[in-house]
Amino acid sequence: MIRRFLNLTRSLARPGVAGRTFKAMPDDTFLVSYPKSGNTWTRFLIANLLHPDHPVTLVTADRLIPGVDGHSQEHLDHLPRPRVIKSHYPFDPQYKRVIYIVRDPRDVVLSQYHYQRKRRVLPDDYPLESFVPRFIAGDVCPYGSWADNVCSWLATRMDDPGFLCFRYEDLKRDTELCVAKLARFLEVTPDLGLIRQAIERSSVKRMRELEKAEAHLWESTKDTRKDISFLRNATSGEWRGKLPPSCVEELESKWGDIMRNLGYSTSSEEAQHNSWLPHLTPLTGSVQ
Amino acid sequence: MIYGIKQVVKYLTGMDHAERNLAVRPDDTFLASYPRSGNTWTRFLLANLLHPDERVSFLNIERLVPDTSSQSSRALKRIPSPRLIKTHHYFDHRYPRVIYIVRDPRDVALSYYHFQRKYRQIGDQYPLENYVQDFVQGRIGSRDWGTWAENVASWMATRAGQDSFLLLRYEDMIADTAQELARVATFLGVEVSRERVQEIIRLSSAARMRQLEQHQSDQWVATKNRRKDIPFVGAANSGGWKSLLPPVSAALIESAWGEGMTSVGYASSTQLARQSQLTR
Repeated sequence: MIRRFLNLTRSLARPGVAGRTFKAMPDDTFLVSYPKSGNTWTRFLIANLLHPDHPVTLVTADRLIPGVDGHSQEHLDHLPRPRVIKSHYPFDPQYKRVIYIVRDPRDVVLSQYHYQRKRRVLPDDYPLESFVPRFIAGDVCPYGSWADNVCSWLATRMDDPGFLCFRYEDLKRDTELCVAKLARFLEVTPDLGLIRQAIERSSVKRMRELEKAEAHLWESTKDTRKDISFLRNATSGEWRGKLPPSCVEELESKWGDIMRNLGYSTSSEEAQHNSWLPHLTPLTGSVQ
Repeated sequence: MIYGIKQVVKYLTGMDHAERNLAVRPDDTFLASYPRSGNTWTRFLLANLLHPDERVSFLNIERLVPDTSSQSSRALKRIPSPRLIKTHHYFDHRYPRVIYIVRDPRDVALSYYHFQRKYRQIGDQYPLENYVQDFVQGRIGSRDWGTWAENVASWMATRAGQDSFLLLRYEDMIADTAQELARVATFLGVEVSRERVQEIIRLSSAARMRQLEQHQSDQWVATKNRRKDIPFVGAANSGGWKSLLPPVSAALIESAWGEGMTSVGYASSTQLARQSQLTR
């Protein structure tokens, strides 16, 4: 009884976040990815594209592109439309316009591992070998497993004109082209000057500086360890040197078919594939 | 703040619907499908399978196989484990074990049309052709179902082939109910005799369910206060679309979802025509 009363007062004082039950509007655009797949960087790129008057910071990016898990339904309902909203959730049919980022799960697992150490969810000496099976089972975050998340979106939306999907690796390799595609999707004139400015204002160097200055203010870094940074090396293929071979093998034996569909090469090239998933091909096209 | 108060009051008074807020338990099994795909029939079959001592009817089905969309969080909390829970939700990664029923979307569209007339969500005059357009574009139903293709693909792409997932086709269930029921029993780890299977099928037959509906429709949450001249238990057959759905509507569904339909074994009208020519 007392516990119920305490819970009641707590929920009244803090209505909680919109989260999975968020009620969307048809003109919303969602920036979706599994956690640690380049969402923050893309958020910066988009915020700098849409709001070129001032360079975006970590704190203002949160305000310009709020997350469904950072705010209440009430708060989000009062924002000016059309909104761009960040989310990590698996497929949601209410999200009518979606920018979806995929990243090699071998890099994602490393990045999540360090982030959870930073947040003191994991102790420093927690072995990666124990983390990987939990990552595969989808036990390390509330957004399903990497495969659940990716497959649920790609199988339902890949051919939809309201769905723009690219790989983090493409965004790294050909940033200008990807940002031009983002601009077009967001109905911003893809002016090369604007694109370059957005990229410049979202560079790893600048974002690291911002993290130093704003770590104590920003929701994702507040009250976390300062010796591990949120923005780590921001590269692709880090797993090659850092992920134990047994872990690589474990991930590939579980998700090899999906990974190959998405264009990530694995040590074995079995023909088997997930027939519900489209094949992702590297982005092509020109910036202008 | 006001939103928070509303939520809490709804929860405490049991006026909410569990939906995505359902607290999932590790030993839960979900009976999932798009609406109008044979879910209620399967619910009856499974309630009879799991509860041989109960007289399964619309009066106790919400206790035996509760629905996430009509039952409150608190009502679902009171159901003892292991629970079998009915849902129409698109993919939810939290569901540990899932029985998923898929039905030919051309039959689903027809059945849904009559269902929405029953629910007074569309008028009797609303043309079926327009309705199928709404159906394909997802302008009907709850925001928690998605379109037929989204619902099916979201489950199949993530769970097909896993030990914790059992796919049932409504058409196979119609063709050989005993065999499909045996597959479910194995999946649920329930032993059942051949005689009992026949008994369960009889207790869950369309004729018996229609009879129950006649007497109990005022007491079941899904039929209470709905039109009485259109029954909830529909035709309970497969392939009705071939004679009842306008060809243009069938073509619309096929052009929108052809690939997904083929993946779960539903041939297009042209494929069917070719087959019948070959066998003639």
